Amino acid sequence: MKTKFLIVVVLLAGLAAIDTPSFAHHGAAAFDMTKPVVLKNATVTEFLWINPHPLIKADYKDEQGNVQHWTMEMGSTVSAQLIGWTRTTLSFGDVVTLYVWQAKTKAPVGRFNKVEFSDGTTMRDTQTGADDGGRADTDVRQ
Amino acid sequence: MRNPYTGAIAGVVGVLLLSALAAGQNTQNNAPRSPWRYYPADRAIGDGGPAPKRDLSGTWAGPASGSGAPRQKPEIVPPLTDLGKQLFARNKPLGKFSPGGTNDPHSRYCDPFGLPQNMTQEIRGMTITTTPNRTFILLQYMDLWREIWTDGRSLPDKVGGRDKDALDPKYNGYSIGRWEDDYTFVVETTGLAPETWATKSGYPHSVEAHVVERFHRDTKNDLTLSLTMTDPKFYTSPFFLGEVHFRWIPNQQLDDFTCIPSEQQLYLKEMGDPAGSDPNETNPQGVRGGRP
Repeated sequence: MKTKFLIVVVLLAGLAAIDTPSFAHHGAAAFDMTKPVVLKNATVTEFLWINPHPLIKADYKDEQGNVQHWTMEMGSTVSAQLIGWTRTTLSFGDVVTLYVWQAKTKAPVGRFNKVEFSDGTTMRDTQTGADDGGRADTDVRQ
Repeated sequence: MRNPYTGAIAGVVGVLLLSALAAGQNTQNNAPRSPWRYYPADRAIGDGGPAPKRDLSGTWAGPASGSGAPRQKPEIVPPLTDLGKQLFARNKPLGKFSPGGTNDPHSRYCDPFGLPQNMTQEIRGMTITTTPNRTFILLQYMDLWREIWTDGRSLPDKVGGRDKDALDPKYNGYSIGRWEDDYTFVVETTGLAPETWATKSGYPHSVEAHVVERFHRDTKNDLTLSLTMTDPKFYTSPFFLGEVHFRWIPNQQLDDFTCIPSEQQLYLKEMGDPAGSDPNETNPQGVRGGRP
């Protein structure tokens, strides 16, 4: 019985470890990784397909009606391509929900986590996929 | 009585199933194939049989290429001299200080990695080609090439310094190569530009550093590179820089990937600098690249 329990614990711990974000070009020390900030119905103002990291810029209206101007980075272009991203995946005017790990400085910048499109589909960042060794075809995180 | 592990086991199976479905969707993509594109999911199958003798020619995918190459073995903590410790203390590596706080010249300005970092960082695609007296290594990242002389010459003994006949240091240094056996090509390099870092962690090197690279073709589809550096000015003994694995690319194509200074400055202005630096935080970044 104990053995079975240990097997289950080890399997779950392994899965948890796989889901821990790790960033290829630099660490995550600058970001608060405890819980992503959710920017519901944010409007994309720019999608910069640049190196070392593409940038998503979006305006988000908070509960008080104030508009926040956000910028967030994602995995490198070549890595993002491995899991289906292109330079046109997001464009000016798109209304989407963005999940982002905000910088500890509390500036409106952070590491992109995932985007929910208006049709209900979702696309994620590469941090546990292609950018960490090109495992996009086997380790795509849903 | 309900088995207390049923939920956990079902969860594990469910996650594994989702992963398998995701993999299946990727590999069953019926989009038109171009001979000009690199398709990371089109991997070499198995080891391809025995390696051909004295032949590394072709295009290889490193651990960051989506190739499924095994994860690279990282550098070891090197034994620094007092002078080495002083120089190392000046450097603020990206992994600890983040883009906003690092002084890594490549991360801030796209300055060249130089050797040995060219062979240990951003290891994506690599093409090797030979002529009668030289072997060339062409690297995808930064679109750069290295020249390795195989005509029997010795390494230069005077690089840098004030002598009139001294050679200038170079980012990739001066390299010679020879076959140690039918499957192992050994490259020696010296005369490295001293302003570059030897490693991502900020360890320094001098012009006199001597780097030995051993390219071993394990099979037709597998190539392993291990690197060692000797630099008595900064290190008390030879320094293992790591081991990198490559896989053969079936269609032999690579995509562009380079550090572009204007884009880097835009990234730092919009994102890296506002995000700041937290060097006291333990970095959760694991060993990068490839399969464990």
